Amino acid sequence: MRPSVSVRELSKWYGLARPRPAGASILDAFGSALSAPVRRMRGEARAGRGRLWALRGVSFEVEPGEVVGVVGRNGAGKSTLLKILSRITRPSAGEVDVYGRVGSLLQVGTGFHPDLTGRENVYLNGTILGMHYAEIRRKFDEIVAFAEVEQFLDMPVKQYSSGMHVRLAFSVAAHVEPDILLLDEVTAVGDAAFQRKCFAKMREISRKGHTVFFVSHNLGTVGDLCRRVLFIESGRLVEDGPAQAVLARYAEHMAPPAA
Amino acid sequence: MRVNEEAGRIPHEQLGVALAASRPPAEPSVRIRPNKPWAPVDLGEVWEHRQLLLLLVLRDLKLRYHQTLLGATWVVLQPLMMTLVLAAFLGLMARPQTDGIPYPLFLYAGLLPWTFFSNAVLGASYSLVTNADLVSKIYFPRLILPAAAVGVRLADFVIAFVALLAMMLYYGVRPPAAGALLWPLVVLNLVLLAAALGALFASLHIRYRDVGTVLPVLLQLWMFASPILYPSGLVPEKWRWAYYLNPLAGGVENFRAALFGLPINRGALLASAGVTAALVIYTSFSFRRMEDEFADSI
Repeated sequence: MRPSVSVRELSKWYGLARPRPAGASILDAFGSALSAPVRRMRGEARAGRGRLWALRGVSFEVEPGEVVGVVGRNGAGKSTLLKILSRITRPSAGEVDVYGRVGSLLQVGTGFHPDLTGRENVYLNGTILGMHYAEIRRKFDEIVAFAEVEQFLDMPVKQYSSGMHVRLAFSVAAHVEPDILLLDEVTAVGDAAFQRKCFAKMREISRKGHTVFFVSHNLGTVGDLCRRVLFIESGRLVEDGPAQAVLARYAEHMAPPAA
Repeated sequence: MRVNEEAGRIPHEQLGVALAASRPPAEPSVRIRPNKPWAPVDLGEVWEHRQLLLLLVLRDLKLRYHQTLLGATWVVLQPLMMTLVLAAFLGLMARPQTDGIPYPLFLYAGLLPWTFFSNAVLGASYSLVTNADLVSKIYFPRLILPAAAVGVRLADFVIAFVALLAMMLYYGVRPPAAGALLWPLVVLNLVLLAAALGALFASLHIRYRDVGTVLPVLLQLWMFASPILYPSGLVPEKWRWAYYLNPLAGGVENFRAALFGLPINRGALLASAGVTAALVIYTSFSFRRMEDEFADSI
């Protein structure tokens, strides 16, 4: 079967600024900026800087319709992976082939403006997430019904409760119908009833052949939703396999060592 | 996880829209790779996102005069008040020669393109920094943000232009037919110039917040180096060539000329278009090069 996403030897690093020598003045900074091109030509600049590896040599392939969980500690590289897949940031090495439209919800409510009404925000946010105007108009009633905010549509979003806010934001993202949906810890909010709806929606999305990446610290949710799980540790992909097996390894890893 | 076990039992009708089946293409739609250093900005991709551009312009127009008393009237009042004050002071004290155009009209016709240019550059320079949450969480062509900031000011410009036509009517100055052809080109030149500089400063602003402090001062100086308050005829003949290297000089002078039926300064117009073209090309490469790092360093 054709893959939906193919990741090969993906790495991302950030250059760490060298600590400034004590007593360095603004003139030194200026001088070092001037000499930087020369140092770079000699290949010194890169070597002189430390590297913080966010991802290191990650490779995997995902097929259409797979719901893939991504787990790991804070700072392990999960979010960086999703940011690269959604083209927000570029990798430092390696490459990714993406087959189809990518939609991402890396933070609930990004692009929502507090002073605009719910209605205006649905159009604005839908467009930001890559929908066309006609598409949003067609799905508008469904988006609103799913979020259960019908009565508050013409109220500025700043007057919404945080639950209403989250429901509307998730609903817009879930109706984008990307071939590949990236979700970063976004279902942790909302009440139990709405979470149930979100999970059902994600299952439906995957049944239609859409691929879902799901980053979460809630292992129960990951185990319930995903058949396959990637476990990332310090930027490396350490486990990639059936959900229950990988989650068991991860739980073991996270448990404090026996005294 | 009792909650999740129930998930499968939700009837489909409750889920709302029936999703279309996903049909991934046979060829990769995108290949994500490390930076490709020298390439211009992908304008086709910006065009694909034109609805986003329009919505961001509408959003900012709607929000700007939110909770103000006079709303969009400010767009006209601001340059009009400047015109009144300056006309009272400079018109009485300096009595500039303005080719027979009444000084208040001359001033307003200079302040109009200047206000557009300066607000557009300044607004665009802040566009990426103030939308940091969008830049770091969602992908779309980054050029959309400075372009939307310029679009907002262009809408202001159109409204304030109506006041200019009213003033011309009042003073009995009639626009020549030939000017109608040239005028859109002069405005297009200004828009491209503002967009190129705005996008350039926006990308610099991410790394150097000094831009927010320095740019207003630079713009203030730039105003005095352009024929806004005085006609370019005041500049000594032997320095004219240097004066016209300022793309706003040819821009504003010919903006007036096209409206008032004065002789067109072709050389100045060409110099202005040349500098604009150079800046557009430079920015389209440098913006493309820097935009990969926006999300990491914002």
